[in-house]
Amino acid sequence: MHIDIKKLQEIVGVENVRDNIADRYVYASDASVHRHLPDIVVRPSTIEEVQHILRYANDNKIPVVPRGAGSGMSGQTVPIAGGIVLDMKRMNRIIEIRPEDVLCKVEPGVINDELNRVLKPSGFFFPPTPSSGMICTIGGMIGTNASGNRSVKYGATRDAILGMKVVLANGELVTLGSNTRVDSSGYQLAKLMVGSEGTLGIVVEATLLISPIPKYRAMGVANFSSLEDAGRMISDTIASGITPSMLELMDNVAITAVNNAQHLGLPDVAAIVIFECNGMVKEAVDHEMKRISEICEKHQGTGVKISDDPKEMKRIYEGRQKLFPSLSRYGEGMVSTALADDMAVPMSKIADAVHEIHEIAKRNNVVMSAYGHCGAGLIHTKILMDTNKKSQWQDAKKAVKEVYEYIQALGGTTSGEHGIGISKAPSWKEEKKDSLALMKAIKKTFDPNNILNPQKLMDAPEDWLTATPLRYHMSA
Amino acid sequence: MTTTKKTSHLQKHEQEMNVCIRCAYCFEQCPVIREVQWDTEGARGKVILAYGILTGEIEPSQYIADKLFRCTFCRDCLERCPSKVKILEIISSARADMVEAGFASDIQNHVVQNIHTTGNIYGDKEVVSQEREGKTPLFIGCQYLGRPNKTKKYIKILEEIGISPVVKKEVCCGYPLEVLGFKKEFTIHKEQFQKSFPFKEAMTLCPTCTIFLHEGHNINAKHVLQVISEKIPSAHLNMKVTYHDPCDFSRGLKLIEEPRKILKKLGVDVVEMETNKQNSRCCGGGGGILMSDQSLSNDIAKKRIHEALDTGTEILVTSCPTCEQVLKKAAQEIGEAEGKTMIIRSIEDIIWQGIQEAKKSAEATKA
Repeated sequence: MHIDIKKLQEIVGVENVRDNIADRYVYASDASVHRHLPDIVVRPSTIEEVQHILRYANDNKIPVVPRGAGSGMSGQTVPIAGGIVLDMKRMNRIIEIRPEDVLCKVEPGVINDELNRVLKPSGFFFPPTPSSGMICTIGGMIGTNASGNRSVKYGATRDAILGMKVVLANGELVTLGSNTRVDSSGYQLAKLMVGSEGTLGIVVEATLLISPIPKYRAMGVANFSSLEDAGRMISDTIASGITPSMLELMDNVAITAVNNAQHLGLPDVAAIVIFECNGMVKEAVDHEMKRISEICEKHQGTGVKISDDPKEMKRIYEGRQKLFPSLSRYGEGMVSTALADDMAVPMSKIADAVHEIHEIAKRNNVVMSAYGHCGAGLIHTKILMDTNKKSQWQDAKKAVKEVYEYIQALGGTTSGEHGIGISKAPSWKEEKKDSLALMKAIKKTFDPNNILNPQKLMDAPEDWLTATPLRYHMSA
Repeated sequence: MTTTKKTSHLQKHEQEMNVCIRCAYCFEQCPVIREVQWDTEGARGKVILAYGILTGEIEPSQYIADKLFRCTFCRDCLERCPSKVKILEIISSARADMVEAGFASDIQNHVVQNIHTTGNIYGDKEVVSQEREGKTPLFIGCQYLGRPNKTKKYIKILEEIGISPVVKKEVCCGYPLEVLGFKKEFTIHKEQFQKSFPFKEAMTLCPTCTIFLHEGHNINAKHVLQVISEKIPSAHLNMKVTYHDPCDFSRGLKLIEEPRKILKKLGVDVVEMETNKQNSRCCGGGGGILMSDQSLSNDIAKKRIHEALDTGTEILVTSCPTCEQVLKKAAQEIGEAEGKTMIIRSIEDIIWQGIQEAKKSAEATKA
């Protein structure tokens, strides 16, 4: 593939273009298992620069892969077909904050927690709360429809998107959506862009719905000696009409990993459930917390603790917050791989799903944890294995397939918040087989030359294991 | 994986590099990536480069060496990494493999040569410790050997609070060799150090030496401020300052309250910066970056000065001579460019001033 580096340097400046193998190697991977070298990395800082880059790429049929923090877990930012990686972190301006309209406008490279830091003095926050909020960008959150632990109350990124500016594959700039909370007419193209993983256009500005910061919140934790009881407690809580702002599950594998990595001394039980309620009225929050603790006890939850002390709440949540990367410390020789990592199931099926995930892991010689925003029906798992062994990858492949087959049989879905990318595409395509043709037609309309993040979602290879080189070295 | 000469130092970290799940949490406050914003330059990027060199997917080069040396070793990534990946050990080993592949810079080689020929980083045989008899071994360290007035002041402070330090004719602790990746040279130097400083317990002036005396030489080292904080007299300096936590102090030694306790006892009001204590932003001066990229170091230091200016105070106190040096330069440049004043003072200056004030006050009371 020939790329005119001088042309790109003219657009963004020499210092914002790199094609050294070292940079290409770093930008070849994200937090997924995949790796593929881009030909070049380019860092635009304005909408006009993005337009120029896309016009050039479209004219020359060069793939363009947008990237924020590169913390995605399914390979969305891995440039499987080479080409240009568009590092969007320089587009990090908060354009305006309008509390009176409950919105703000930002560029895609703004970091989630930085936005909340700036919003705080006005009494507002951006509700999606991914665990990676301290480093993930708004652009990345839009690309994957990220949500996080408060999705049970506030929904996902898509629910907080009012509108956006997008540069299309041909360099044209379009404004989608509106500045209003309701918008009933026509196709909701701004919402369509959310979760499209950079395959339909490059988001260069987003109009976000913000929410008032609740004045009061309290957090609780309960231990369970069986996963089934924990699962029933979660679905019972949601069915009771209470809207917690957080309802999180950690299984024993997750607890062990956190204790090994963080030395937090969490109890060695089958499951821990963390719950939080927030609101403007203390009595209402206290009432909901009391109701949830009663539901915990009904389902044999023990050691129920509730606190509204910020330090204690931080302590309660610390293990959950640091869980995902801690999984690599589960056992000697085992590391955490981002596979089968964020399926969602109907609320009543959580206990069944978690139980079967452990059975599948046992059958396939791997360890799988189960945790996540179970109040929203979302279950995170990770496959813990010896990545140096080729045979373990075959075990993992079989486990992934079995997990997704079971989740689909329960009426669940492949990805709740991390997106599809490469590694989840085979199962997702099976799940969405009735609508794949429609999706391909949409892609063709937006991107006729197929330059925008090609070979992802419905166009991804059929076998994730051979789709790209793995980023792990295998010796046996 | 078979060990090759190219990666003999990195080899032992293969599993540790797989433990890194590349979550990028280390981006949060890494001073280098926040400044330059290229993924290659952050802790994750450096670990990926090290992995690529180990697996042979990329070849060692001067370009890669330059990236690996653009790190202040501020330890912030260690605080952020939820998997507790031994990031700095990986970077240090990657540097060692780069050095053995011939990618050390002239200035780095020069510093190593200086230590070899003169025992200190300056290459100056006249820079020597003034030997003295006493009870408690004190290790001065190169940064203070090069600043004899500061050293004298610390010794006078120790005498004032009833501690009599022993000072030997010392050689560098060897940390520069270790951090720059000159592992073989360190092994040789280690013997020389241990002959010149044959103690199992010691006080130190420099926070980095304090850590390295422990990690590199198994000496139970205490920073002098730990000792001073227990015996400092009360004074009424009536000053308002902000305090910069040196990385090796707050994140390395976990010494957070001691300098604040000293300042409070001397009547100095500390206004905290937005990032402080274990979350303190780096000054930009550590890890050998002053030898590889002074301009980047200066940009990082300026960020810290701006943070200090946001406190509304005009005095920044710190307890590390390197921090003091780079922050002074940055403050001066900001002063010239923006007309804003930030005076950088060392904590030993404030302590000495406080002790004098306390003595005067006691004399006045007697009279």
